[in-house]
Amino acid sequence: MNSAEELKYLLPNSVISVGVQTNKPLAVIRKEDLLTVAGKVKEMGFDSLSVITGVDRLDRIEVIYNLFSYKKKQNLALKVILDHKSPEVDSVTSIWKVADWLERETYDLVGVKFNGHPNLKRILLPEGWIGHPLMKDYDMSIEQFVTIGEDGEDIVSTDGSNLLRRR
Amino acid sequence: MDPVTIDTTKIRITKRKPETALEKLEDTGLINTLLAAKDREGFILLTTVDQAINWGRLSSLWPVTSGLACCAIEMMATSMAHHDIARFGMEVFRASPRQSDLMFVAGTVTKRMAPRVKQLYEMMAEPKWVISVGSCANTGGPYHESYCVLKGVDNIIPVDVYIPGCPPRPEAWLYGIIQLREKIKNEGYGAKWGLNK
Amino acid sequence: METETLLLNMGPVHPSTHGVLRFKLRMDGEIIRDCQIVVGYLHRGTEKLGEMKTYLQFIPYTDRLDYIAAMPNNYAYVRAVEELAGIEVPQRAEYIRVLVMELNRIINHLVMMGSLLLDLGGSTMIMYGFRERENALQLYEMLCGARMTFNYVKPGGVREDLPEGFMPKLDEFIKDMEKRIVDYEELVNGNEIFLMRTKNIGVIGAEEAINYGMTGPTLRGSGVDYDIRKVESYSIYSDLDFKACMRREGDSYARYLVRVDEMRESLHILRQIVDTIPEGKTVNQRYGMAPNTGAPSSVMSYFPRIFTPAEGEVYSRIEAPKGELGFFVASDGTTKPYRVKIRSPSFCNLVALPKMVVGLKIPDLIAAFGTIDIVLGDVDR
Repeated sequence: MNSAEELKYLLPNSVISVGVQTNKPLAVIRKEDLLTVAGKVKEMGFDSLSVITGVDRLDRIEVIYNLFSYKKKQNLALKVILDHKSPEVDSVTSIWKVADWLERETYDLVGVKFNGHPNLKRILLPEGWIGHPLMKDYDMSIEQFVTIGEDGEDIVSTDGSNLLRRR
Repeated sequence: MDPVTIDTTKIRITKRKPETALEKLEDTGLINTLLAAKDREGFILLTTVDQAINWGRLSSLWPVTSGLACCAIEMMATSMAHHDIARFGMEVFRASPRQSDLMFVAGTVTKRMAPRVKQLYEMMAEPKWVISVGSCANTGGPYHESYCVLKGVDNIIPVDVYIPGCPPRPEAWLYGIIQLREKIKNEGYGAKWGLNK
Repeated sequence: METETLLLNMGPVHPSTHGVLRFKLRMDGEIIRDCQIVVGYLHRGTEKLGEMKTYLQFIPYTDRLDYIAAMPNNYAYVRAVEELAGIEVPQRAEYIRVLVMELNRIINHLVMMGSLLLDLGGSTMIMYGFRERENALQLYEMLCGARMTFNYVKPGGVREDLPEGFMPKLDEFIKDMEKRIVDYEELVNGNEIFLMRTKNIGVIGAEEAINYGMTGPTLRGSGVDYDIRKVESYSIYSDLDFKACMRREGDSYARYLVRVDEMRESLHILRQIVDTIPEGKTVNQRYGMAPNTGAPSSVMSYFPRIFTPAEGEVYSRIEAPKGELGFFVASDGTTKPYRVKIRSPSFCNLVALPKMVVGLKIPDLIAAFGTIDIVLGDVDR
């Protein structure tokens, strides 16, 4: 049996459904059990986290973890479904350290908050940017500009008059 | 009354030979030209000096290393042995803006990087020139509809030459640099009235 | 005597940071106590643009991610789209794809070697590296007209077939390159200063490297024998004979040697392709858009004008020269993707840098950082 079915066999209460992500096994799990499932999956041999993706499906937000095992050469995908108004989930930084930056990026662009993350700040956009760009209701018509403050840090504002030159 | 006909072949304008020093000076026409030039805020004597200064400036422009994205790789390729940028006197890319006089803005200028590019420009000492390379620096390029890209670097600093391309070939870089040299040749007071021939 | 740590900023504009990358270092004299990396100065919003363009219109944006070696980026995205829609590719097209990708691997490692040595103070290697790069770029120009951003691999095959005169020129390039690699090894590998600056600098063990998400030659320098071309083989790599290069020590020198070995393996693969490529029609040199739709040719299978794949999600990854490059594409049945997420190798390789560098001096930071081999277009997207 593939790795998603094995996971359902080991933790039947946490796994909602088992499916396929085109050619990789996919397991949809409950968001409250994410840390126990992650610990179990690491024991099963999945020691490498490839990517964390946040997708905004207009009535919910999905976060998808793609994992790989070096010893057993198998793939696994985990999906967690979150509330659209206040998406929050536990952080897996204690299990796979690469999640440090991947979760910061998901917070930056999609707006998902990760509880227990050591340093949840924006990474690709400057601090103070208004909005999360990859949400479907992000307003692209507002232009935001960045200037440098006293200590070299970025200040974001919608008024760019001290940066732009008069043409 | 009959119109008076004057036989112009017989008229000769006689000038007395200049005797005093002032008359001799007036005779050369220098005072007239100096008075004429005084109105135009410049001296014709400076034409050659202008040319000499411009030649000195354009022969050894030192660029500052400000490559931002993909066009920076073509900047490196242009400065290497195959297409040599050192023939224009630019083999030294200075790391400090205070020691350079040319800035290639090569690559996409994002909103987060824009104040740093502006600061880099303001730190350079006069005289300074800016070449904007690639379509991202000219107008925003393929990322024009993005939420965090500045639509052209001429929104923040004045640009002298634009080089189009994505990325521009090294031959296009060399052509752009030659255009900048032509532009520098025509600077100064002498050129405004077509005197630098 | 009380001392304080000094906050030193290696700012976005710096000659050795390979782009616009910022380090905030806490220094105790000359020793680094803490290192924070600030990225995002080249964030251009590629993923948002992926939702605004159609599948074919997005391919030029993938070129600009890892702009030194652009073909594998094209191919990773195209492979995800092909898996999503179930498109078959003719054999000759697969051979051509592997050919251009391996040539790009050689270019990428040359640029890495050149810029590493330029940062350490020796400016000879970058001159040699860029000279070879010009030869390879002339091959690409014969093929698709562009030097850096190719836009050549399309879903269903490649854009155009090989022109006349391409194979003899490629043969010449391979012969030339084999001699030059020997030259580079003699120039650099035994150099005392280089050895002193890179041996035992930036050491990371195998388990930690996997946990920190490192992939590619950076991981193989720490003793983990993992190459996606061997493990989850894609395209025709399962028919080719090559080995995954690996070293055990985990320091900068080992990562450097892995890349020199990989260049040799790529030349070996190119030789096999030149010998075994299946027959097809080689075209006369022509410029202009090759048709993306219509009758299938020997390098392109049928691809509809209005392409609407079925609903679904896919994550596919390949071995790019810098590591594991993956694309997550979700489609909802319309002509534009619903979500495109790019898993870039440089972004994930950087997470371990603060750990590798604490306790060393700034020149060691430059040496360790140069062997991780990042490019900022990939980190910030």
